[in-house]
Amino acid sequence: MGRLYILHESASGYGLFIASGIDEIGQNTEAVRNSVTDLNRFGKVVELVAFSPFESALDALNQCNAVSEGQMTDELRNFLEISLPKVKEGKKPKFKLGVSDPKIGSHIFEETKIPCESNEFDLELIRGIRLHFDKLIEGLKPGDLEKAQLGLGHSYSRAKVKFNVNRVDNMVI
Amino acid sequence: KLTGMKGGNKVVVEAHRHEGVFIAKGKEDALCTRNLVPGEAVYNEKRISVQNEDGTKVEYRVWNPFRSKLAAAILGGVDNIWMKPGSKVLYLGAASGTTVSHVSDLVGPTGVVYAVEFSPRSGRDLVNMAAKRTNVIPIIEDARLPARYRMLVGMVDVIFSDVAQPDQARILALNASYFLKSGGHFVISIKANCIDSTATAEAVFASEVKKLQAEQFKPMEQVTLEPFERDHACVVGAYRVPKKPKLAAS
Repeated sequence: MGRLYILHESASGYGLFIASGIDEIGQNTEAVRNSVTDLNRFGKVVELVAFSPFESALDALNQCNAVSEGQMTDELRNFLEISLPKVKEGKKPKFKLGVSDPKIGSHIFEETKIPCESNEFDLELIRGIRLHFDKLIEGLKPGDLEKAQLGLGHSYSRAKVKFNVNRVDNMVI
Repeated sequence: KLTGMKGGNKVVVEAHRHEGVFIAKGKEDALCTRNLVPGEAVYNEKRISVQNEDGTKVEYRVWNPFRSKLAAAILGGVDNIWMKPGSKVLYLGAASGTTVSHVSDLVGPTGVVYAVEFSPRSGRDLVNMAAKRTNVIPIIEDARLPARYRMLVGMVDVIFSDVAQPDQARILALNASYFLKSGGHFVISIKANCIDSTATAEAVFASEVKKLQAEQFKPMEQVTLEPFERDHACVVGAYRVPKKPKLAAS
Protein backbone atom coordinates (compact mmCIF):
# COMPACT_ATOMS: atom_id res chain seq x y z
CA MET A 1 0.00 0.00 0.00
CA GLY A 2 1.00 3.62 -0.50
CA ARG A 3 1.51 6.39 1.99
CA LEU A 4 -1.26 7.72 4.16
CA TYR A 5 -1.54 11.44 4.82
CA ILE A 6 -4.03 12.98 7.23
CA LEU A 7 -5.67 16.41 6.99
CA HIS A 8 -6.63 18.09 10.25
CA GLU A 9 -8.60 21.33 10.18
CA SER A 10 -8.11 23.31 13.42
CA ALA A 11 -9.15 26.78 14.58
CA SER A 12 -5.52 27.95 14.18
CA GLY A 13 -4.90 26.56 10.71
CA TYR A 14 -4.65 23.54 8.44
CA GLY A 15 -2.32 20.71 9.42
CA LEU A 16 -1.08 17.90 7.20
CA PHE A 17 0.35 14.78 8.83
CA ILE A 18 1.84 11.55 7.58
CA ALA A 19 1.07 8.24 9.23
CA SER A 20 4.60 6.95 8.92
CA GLY A 21 4.66 4.34 11.64
CA ILE A 22 1.64 2.67 10.16
CA ASP A 23 3.41 -0.55 9.19
CA GLU A 24 4.58 -1.07 12.74
CA ILE A 25 1.15 -0.85 14.29
CA GLY A 26 -0.73 -2.29 11.33
CA GLN A 27 -4.09 -1.26 9.93
CA ASN A 28 -5.81 -2.43 13.07
CA THR A 29 -8.16 0.03 14.73
CA GLU A 30 -7.64 -1.47 18.18
CA ALA A 31 -3.86 -1.09 17.85
CA VAL A 32 -4.23 2.54 16.77
CA ARG A 33 -6.58 3.20 19.66
CA ASN A 34 -3.97 1.97 22.09
CA SER A 35 -1.20 4.05 20.53
CA VAL A 36 -3.27 7.24 20.39
CA THR A 37 -3.38 8.07 24.10
CA ASP A 38 0.36 8.10 24.67
CA LEU A 39 2.18 10.97 22.89
CA ASN A 40 5.50 9.09 22.88
CA ARG A 41 3.93 6.28 20.92
CA PHE A 42 1.64 8.44 18.82
CA GLY A 43 4.49 10.77 17.85
CA LYS A 44 6.15 7.79 16.20
CA VAL A 45 3.01 6.90 14.28
CA VAL A 46 2.01 10.35 13.04
CA GLU A 47 4.34 13.19 12.04
CA LEU A 48 3.65 16.73 10.94
CA VAL A 49 4.33 17.42 7.26
CA ALA A 50 3.08 20.99 6.98
CA PHE A 51 1.04 23.55 8.90
CA SER A 52 -0.61 26.59 7.40
CA PRO A 53 -1.86 29.08 10.01
CA PHE A 54 -4.86 31.23 9.12
CA GLU A 55 -3.89 34.79 8.25
CA SER A 56 -6.62 36.63 10.13
CA ALA A 57 -9.83 36.15 12.08
CA LEU A 58 -11.78 36.76 8.87
CA ASP A 59 -9.73 34.16 7.00
CA ALA A 60 -10.34 31.65 9.80
CA LEU A 61 -14.09 32.32 9.63
CA ASN A 62 -14.18 31.83 5.85
CA GLN A 63 -12.28 28.55 6.15
CA CYS A 64 -14.51 27.37 8.99
CA ASN A 65 -17.70 28.16 7.07
CA ALA A 66 -16.44 26.22 4.05
CA VAL A 67 -15.15 23.22 6.04
CA SER A 68 -18.44 23.07 7.91
CA GLU A 69 -20.27 22.77 4.56
CA GLY A 70 -17.81 20.16 3.26
CA GLN A 71 -16.27 22.59 0.77
CA MET A 72 -12.60 23.03 -0.14
CA THR A 73 -11.48 26.67 -0.34
CA ASP A 74 -8.77 27.97 -2.70
CA GLU A 75 -6.49 28.30 0.34
CA LEU A 76 -6.99 24.66 1.31
CA ARG A 77 -6.43 23.59 -2.30
CA ASN A 78 -3.15 25.52 -2.44
CA PHE A 79 -2.02 24.05 0.87
CA LEU A 80 -2.74 20.47 -0.25
CA GLU A 81 -1.20 20.86 -3.71
CA ILE A 82 2.00 22.38 -2.31
CA SER A 83 2.37 19.93 0.58
CA LEU A 84 1.33 16.62 -1.00
CA PRO A 85 3.15 14.66 -3.75
CA LYS A 86 2.06 15.70 -7.26
CA VAL A 87 -0.83 13.81 -8.83
CA LYS A 88 0.17 13.01 -12.43
CA GLU A 89 -2.43 12.60 -15.10
CA GLY A 90 -3.02 9.03 -16.19
CA LYS A 91 -1.04 7.61 -13.25
CA LYS A 92 -2.50 6.17 -10.11
CA PRO A 93 -1.24 8.19 -7.12
CA LYS A 94 0.80 6.24 -4.59
CA PHE A 95 -0.76 7.94 -1.59
CA LYS A 96 -4.09 8.64 0.04
CA LEU A 97 -5.42 11.53 2.10
CA GLY A 98 -7.45 10.69 5.19
CA VAL A 99 -10.09 13.32 6.05
CA SER A 100 -12.67 13.79 8.84
CA ASP A 101 -15.70 14.10 6.61
CA PRO A 102 -16.42 12.14 3.38
CA LYS A 103 -18.16 15.23 1.97
CA ILE A 104 -15.01 17.38 1.95
CA GLY A 105 -13.10 14.31 0.71
CA SER A 106 -15.25 13.98 -2.39
CA HIS A 107 -14.98 17.72 -3.08
CA ILE A 108 -11.17 17.59 -2.79
CA PHE A 109 -11.05 14.58 -5.13
CA GLU A 110 -13.35 16.17 -7.72
CA GLU A 111 -11.23 19.30 -7.92
CA THR A 112 -7.70 17.99 -7.49
CA LYS A 113 -7.83 14.21 -8.14
CA ILE A 114 -6.17 13.70 -4.75
CA PRO A 115 -7.55 10.35 -3.56
CA CYS A 116 -9.35 10.79 -0.23
CA GLU A 117 -10.73 8.36 2.31
CA SER A 118 -12.55 8.68 5.62
CA ASN A 119 -12.67 5.31 7.31
CA GLU A 120 -12.60 4.17 10.93
CA PHE A 121 -8.81 4.01 10.87
CA ASP A 122 -8.42 7.61 9.60
CA LEU A 123 -10.89 8.82 12.21
CA GLU A 124 -8.89 7.14 14.98
CA LEU A 125 -5.72 8.89 13.81
CA ILE A 126 -7.59 12.21 13.72
CA ARG A 127 -8.69 11.64 17.34
CA GLY A 128 -5.02 11.28 18.20
CA ILE A 129 -4.09 14.45 16.33
CA ARG A 130 -6.89 16.36 18.07
CA LEU A 131 -5.66 15.07 21.45
CA HIS A 132 -1.99 15.99 20.94
CA PHE A 133 -2.44 18.90 18.54
CA ASP A 134 -0.60 21.63 20.46
CA LYS A 135 2.39 19.31 20.97
CA LEU A 136 2.54 18.27 17.32
CA ILE A 137 2.65 21.84 16.01
CA GLU A 138 5.86 23.66 16.80
CA GLY A 139 5.43 27.14 18.25
CA LEU A 140 1.90 26.53 19.47
CA LYS A 141 1.80 27.22 23.21
CA PRO A 142 -0.71 25.58 25.55
CA GLY A 143 -3.85 27.71 25.49
CA ASP A 144 -3.20 29.15 22.01
CA LEU A 145 -5.58 26.72 20.35
CA GLU A 146 -8.36 27.46 22.86
CA LYS A 147 -7.91 31.19 22.19
CA ALA A 148 -8.31 30.57 18.46
CA GLN A 149 -11.38 28.37 19.10
CA LEU A 150 -12.88 31.07 21.32
CA GLY A 151 -12.53 33.81 18.71
CA LEU A 152 -13.72 31.59 15.89
CA GLY A 153 -16.60 30.15 17.96
CA HIS A 154 -17.89 33.67 18.60
CA SER A 155 -17.62 34.88 15.00
CA TYR A 156 -19.11 31.66 13.60
CA SER A 157 -21.99 31.65 16.10
CA ARG A 158 -22.75 35.38 15.86
CA ALA A 159 -23.36 34.93 12.15
CA LYS A 160 -25.68 31.99 12.89
CA VAL A 161 -27.93 33.83 15.34
CA LYS A 162 -28.36 36.55 12.71
CA PHE A 163 -29.65 39.16 15.15
CA ASN A 164 -27.58 41.94 16.53
CA VAL A 165 -26.15 40.27 19.62
CA ASN A 166 -25.28 43.63 21.12
CA ARG A 167 -28.95 44.42 21.48
CA VAL A 168 -30.08 43.02 24.78
CA ASP A 169 -33.84 42.59 24.69
CA ASN A 170 -34.87 39.34 26.28
CA MET A 171 -38.21 38.64 24.72
CA VAL A 172 -40.79 37.16 27.04
CA ILE A 173 -43.71 35.43 25.41
CA LYS B 1 -15.38 28.22 55.55
CA LEU B 2 -16.49 31.69 54.62
CA THR B 3 -19.09 33.91 56.17
CA GLY B 4 -21.18 36.63 54.61
CA MET B 5 -23.72 39.11 55.86
CA LYS B 6 -26.58 40.16 53.65
CA GLY B 7 -29.81 41.68 54.75
CA GLY B 8 -28.82 40.95 58.31
CA ASN B 9 -28.70 37.18 57.67
CA LYS B 10 -25.51 35.38 58.37
CA VAL B 11 -24.59 33.05 55.52
CA VAL B 12 -21.83 30.47 55.65
CA VAL B 13 -20.50 29.06 52.38
CA GLU B 14 -18.94 25.62 52.48
CA ALA B 15 -17.28 23.54 49.81
CA HIS B 16 -19.50 20.77 48.41
CA ARG B 17 -18.26 17.20 48.02
CA HIS B 18 -17.95 17.99 44.27
CA GLU B 19 -14.95 20.25 43.75
CA GLY B 20 -16.00 23.67 42.37
CA VAL B 21 -19.52 23.40 43.85
CA PHE B 22 -20.50 25.12 47.11
CA ILE B 23 -23.33 25.17 49.62
CA ALA B 24 -24.58 28.40 51.14
CA LYS B 25 -25.87 27.69 54.64
CA GLY B 26 -28.39 30.28 55.72
CA LYS B 27 -32.03 30.06 56.65
CA GLU B 28 -32.23 27.45 53.89
CA ASP B 29 -29.30 25.68 52.27
CA ALA B 30 -28.63 26.57 48.65
CA LEU B 31 -26.34 25.07 46.04
CA CYS B 32 -24.05 27.65 44.45
CA THR B 33 -20.95 28.21 42.33
CA ARG B 34 -18.21 30.80 42.71
CA ASN B 35 -19.01 33.64 40.29
CA LEU B 36 -16.38 33.90 37.56
CA VAL B 37 -17.67 37.40 36.77
CA PRO B 38 -18.33 39.06 40.15
CA GLY B 39 -21.06 41.67 40.10
CA GLU B 40 -22.97 40.03 37.26
CA ALA B 41 -25.99 37.74 37.36
CA VAL B 42 -26.85 35.66 34.27
CA TYR B 43 -30.57 34.92 34.72
CA ASN B 44 -31.51 37.07 37.73
CA GLU B 45 -30.25 34.42 40.13
CA LYS B 46 -29.43 35.44 43.69
CA ARG B 47 -25.82 36.31 44.48
CA ILE B 48 -24.09 35.93 47.83
CA SER B 49 -21.01 37.91 48.73
CA VAL B 50 -18.85 36.61 51.54
CA GLN B 51 -15.76 37.92 53.21
CA ASN B 52 -12.60 35.89 53.67
CA GLU B 53 -10.66 36.05 56.90
CA ASP B 54 -8.10 38.30 55.15
CA GLY B 55 -10.81 40.77 54.18
CA THR B 56 -11.05 39.86 50.46
CA LYS B 57 -14.52 39.24 49.06
CA VAL B 58 -15.80 36.28 47.09
CA GLU B 59 -19.10 36.17 45.26
CA TYR B 60 -21.25 33.08 44.72
CA ARG B 61 -24.30 32.54 42.50
CA VAL B 62 -27.20 30.43 43.71
CA TRP B 63 -27.78 27.41 41.45
CA ASN B 64 -31.48 26.62 41.07
CA PRO B 65 -32.20 22.86 40.71
CA PHE B 66 -35.61 23.61 39.19
CA ARG B 67 -33.84 25.34 36.30
CA SER B 68 -30.81 23.09 35.94
CA LYS B 69 -30.76 19.33 35.53
CA LEU B 70 -27.13 19.16 36.58
CA ALA B 71 -27.96 20.92 39.86
CA ALA B 72 -30.91 18.53 40.31
CA ALA B 73 -28.58 15.56 39.76
CA ILE B 74 -26.12 16.92 42.35
CA LEU B 75 -28.91 17.36 44.91
CA GLY B 76 -30.14 13.89 43.91
CA GLY B 77 -26.85 12.58 45.25
CA VAL B 78 -24.95 11.72 42.07
CA ASP B 79 -21.62 10.20 43.05
CA ASN B 80 -19.42 11.96 40.47
CA ILE B 81 -20.09 14.66 37.85
CA TRP B 82 -16.56 14.31 36.38
CA MET B 83 -16.25 18.10 36.12
CA LYS B 84 -13.91 20.08 38.34
CA PRO B 85 -11.73 23.20 38.10
CA GLY B 86 -9.65 22.92 34.90
CA SER B 87 -11.94 20.39 33.14
CA LYS B 88 -12.77 20.62 29.45
CA VAL B 89 -16.48 20.07 28.91
CA LEU B 90 -18.54 19.62 25.74
CA TYR B 91 -22.08 20.69 26.59
CA LEU B 92 -24.78 19.52 24.14
CA GLY B 93 -28.14 21.31 24.34
CA ALA B 94 -26.82 24.48 25.97
CA ALA B 95 -30.12 26.38 25.52
CA SER B 96 -29.86 29.97 26.84
CA GLY B 97 -26.83 29.06 28.90
CA THR B 98 -28.17 29.09 32.46
CA THR B 99 -26.56 25.77 33.44
CA VAL B 100 -23.60 26.48 31.14
CA SER B 101 -22.86 29.59 33.22
CA HIS B 102 -22.63 27.47 36.38
CA VAL B 103 -20.42 24.91 34.62
CA SER B 104 -18.29 27.88 33.53
CA ASP B 105 -17.96 28.92 37.22
CA LEU B 106 -17.24 25.33 38.21
CA VAL B 107 -14.39 24.66 35.74
CA GLY B 108 -13.01 28.17 36.34
CA PRO B 109 -10.50 30.18 34.30
CA THR B 110 -8.33 27.15 33.43
CA GLY B 111 -11.28 25.09 32.16
CA VAL B 112 -13.20 25.30 28.88
CA VAL B 113 -16.89 24.78 28.08
CA TYR B 114 -17.78 24.13 24.43
CA ALA B 115 -21.50 24.98 24.44
CA VAL B 116 -23.55 23.64 21.51
CA GLU B 117 -27.08 24.91 20.86
CA PHE B 118 -29.05 24.71 17.62
CA SER B 119 -31.89 27.16 18.21
CA PRO B 120 -30.92 30.70 17.17
CA ARG B 121 -33.40 32.14 19.68
CA SER B 122 -31.73 30.51 22.71
CA GLY B 123 -28.41 30.78 20.92
CA ARG B 124 -28.54 34.54 21.06
CA ASP B 125 -28.71 34.53 24.87
CA LEU B 126 -25.96 31.94 24.93
CA VAL B 127 -23.66 34.08 22.76
CA ASN B 128 -24.36 37.13 24.96
CA MET B 129 -23.60 35.18 28.13
CA ALA B 130 -20.37 33.80 26.61
CA ALA B 131 -19.22 37.32 25.73
CA LYS B 132 -18.58 37.89 29.45
CA ARG B 133 -17.19 34.43 30.22
CA THR B 134 -14.06 33.71 28.25
CA ASN B 135 -14.02 30.02 29.16
CA VAL B 136 -17.27 29.46 27.24
CA ILE B 137 -17.03 28.83 23.50
CA PRO B 138 -20.49 29.25 21.97
CA ILE B 139 -21.34 26.99 19.01
CA ILE B 140 -24.63 27.55 17.25
CA GLU B 141 -24.93 24.28 15.37
CA ASP B 142 -26.85 21.02 15.20
CA ALA B 143 -25.44 18.54 17.76
CA ARG B 144 -26.37 15.78 15.28
CA LEU B 145 -23.64 17.04 12.93
CA PRO B 146 -20.37 17.30 14.87
CA ALA B 147 -18.42 17.35 11.59
CA ARG B 148 -19.83 20.85 11.06
CA TYR B 149 -18.17 22.17 14.24
CA ARG B 150 -15.04 20.02 14.29
CA MET B 151 -12.82 23.08 13.83
CA LEU B 152 -14.16 24.69 17.00
CA VAL B 153 -13.77 21.87 19.52
CA GLY B 154 -10.77 20.15 21.10
CA MET B 155 -10.59 16.84 22.96
CA VAL B 156 -12.67 17.00 26.15
CA ASP B 157 -12.72 15.26 29.54
CA VAL B 158 -16.49 15.02 29.75
CA ILE B 159 -19.63 15.46 27.63
CA PHE B 160 -22.79 16.71 29.29
CA SER B 161 -25.85 16.07 27.14
CA ASP B 162 -29.32 17.54 27.56
CA VAL B 163 -30.73 17.46 24.03
CA ALA B 164 -34.14 15.83 24.78
CA GLN B 165 -34.28 14.04 21.43
CA PRO B 166 -35.42 10.44 20.70
CA ASP B 167 -31.98 9.65 19.20
CA GLN B 168 -29.99 11.31 22.01
CA ALA B 169 -27.86 8.20 22.67
CA ARG B 170 -26.71 8.26 19.04
CA ILE B 171 -26.05 12.03 19.22
CA LEU B 172 -23.89 11.51 22.33
CA ALA B 173 -22.01 8.62 20.70
CA LEU B 174 -21.30 10.58 17.53
CA ASN B 175 -19.91 13.54 19.49
CA ALA B 176 -17.87 11.23 21.71
CA SER B 177 -16.28 9.60 18.65
CA TYR B 178 -14.97 13.02 17.59
CA PHE B 179 -14.22 14.79 20.84
CA LEU B 180 -14.25 12.61 23.99
CA LYS B 181 -10.95 11.31 25.33
CA SER B 182 -10.63 7.58 25.78
CA GLY B 183 -11.36 6.99 29.45
CA GLY B 184 -13.37 10.26 29.55
CA HIS B 185 -16.88 10.50 30.94
CA PHE B 186 -20.44 11.40 30.00
CA VAL B 187 -23.38 12.79 31.93
CA ILE B 188 -26.69 12.51 30.09
CA SER B 189 -30.11 13.77 31.14
CA ILE B 190 -32.92 11.54 29.91
CA LYS B 191 -36.50 12.79 29.66
CA ALA B 192 -38.60 9.63 29.36
CA ASN B 193 -41.50 11.00 27.34
CA CYS B 194 -39.16 12.59 24.77
CA ILE B 195 -38.06 9.10 23.81
CA ASP B 196 -41.19 7.01 24.17
CA SER B 197 -44.34 8.45 25.70
CA THR B 198 -46.10 5.05 25.73
CA ALA B 199 -43.61 3.09 27.87
CA THR B 200 -43.01 3.57 31.59
CA ALA B 201 -40.18 5.90 32.55
CA GLU B 202 -38.19 3.05 34.09
CA ALA B 203 -38.45 1.00 30.88
CA VAL B 204 -37.25 3.98 28.82
CA PHE B 205 -34.24 4.56 31.11
CA ALA B 206 -33.31 0.86 30.91
CA SER B 207 -33.49 0.84 27.11
CA GLU B 208 -31.40 4.03 26.87
CA VAL B 209 -28.75 2.47 29.12
CA LYS B 210 -28.65 -0.52 26.74
CA LYS B 211 -28.21 1.81 23.76
CA LEU B 212 -25.30 3.52 25.51
CA GLN B 213 -23.63 0.19 26.28
CA ALA B 214 -23.77 -0.66 22.57
CA GLU B 215 -21.79 2.55 21.80
CA GLN B 216 -18.63 1.95 23.86
CA PHE B 217 -20.10 3.67 26.90
CA LYS B 218 -20.01 2.11 30.33
CA PRO B 219 -22.91 3.48 32.40
CA MET B 220 -21.84 3.63 36.05
CA GLU B 221 -24.74 5.24 37.89
CA GLN B 222 -28.25 6.53 37.44
CA VAL B 223 -30.08 9.08 39.58
CA THR B 224 -33.63 10.35 39.34
CA LEU B 225 -34.17 14.10 39.03
CA GLU B 226 -37.30 14.01 41.22
CA PRO B 227 -38.61 16.17 42.83
CA PHE B 228 -37.21 18.84 40.49
CA GLU B 229 -38.16 17.21 37.19
CA ARG B 230 -40.80 14.56 36.56
CA ASP B 231 -39.79 11.30 34.80
CA HIS B 232 -36.22 12.42 34.24
CA ALA B 233 -33.07 10.48 35.03
CA CYS B 234 -29.43 11.34 34.81
CA VAL B 235 -27.02 8.61 33.72
CA VAL B 236 -23.28 8.97 34.30
CA GLY B 237 -20.50 6.77 32.99
CA ALA B 238 -17.22 6.29 31.16
CA TYR B 239 -16.19 6.06 27.50
CA ARG B 240 -13.85 3.52 25.90
CA VAL B 241 -12.66 2.29 29.25
CA PRO B 242 -9.20 0.81 28.72
CA LYS B 243 -9.02 -2.90 29.33
CA LYS B 244 -7.21 -3.68 32.54
CA PRO B 245 -3.83 -5.22 31.83
CA LYS B 246 -3.75 -8.86 32.82
CA LEU B 247 -1.91 -9.39 36.04
CA ALA B 248 1.16 -11.52 35.76
CA ALA B 249 0.72 -14.88 37.41
CA SER B 250 2.52 -14.94 40.70
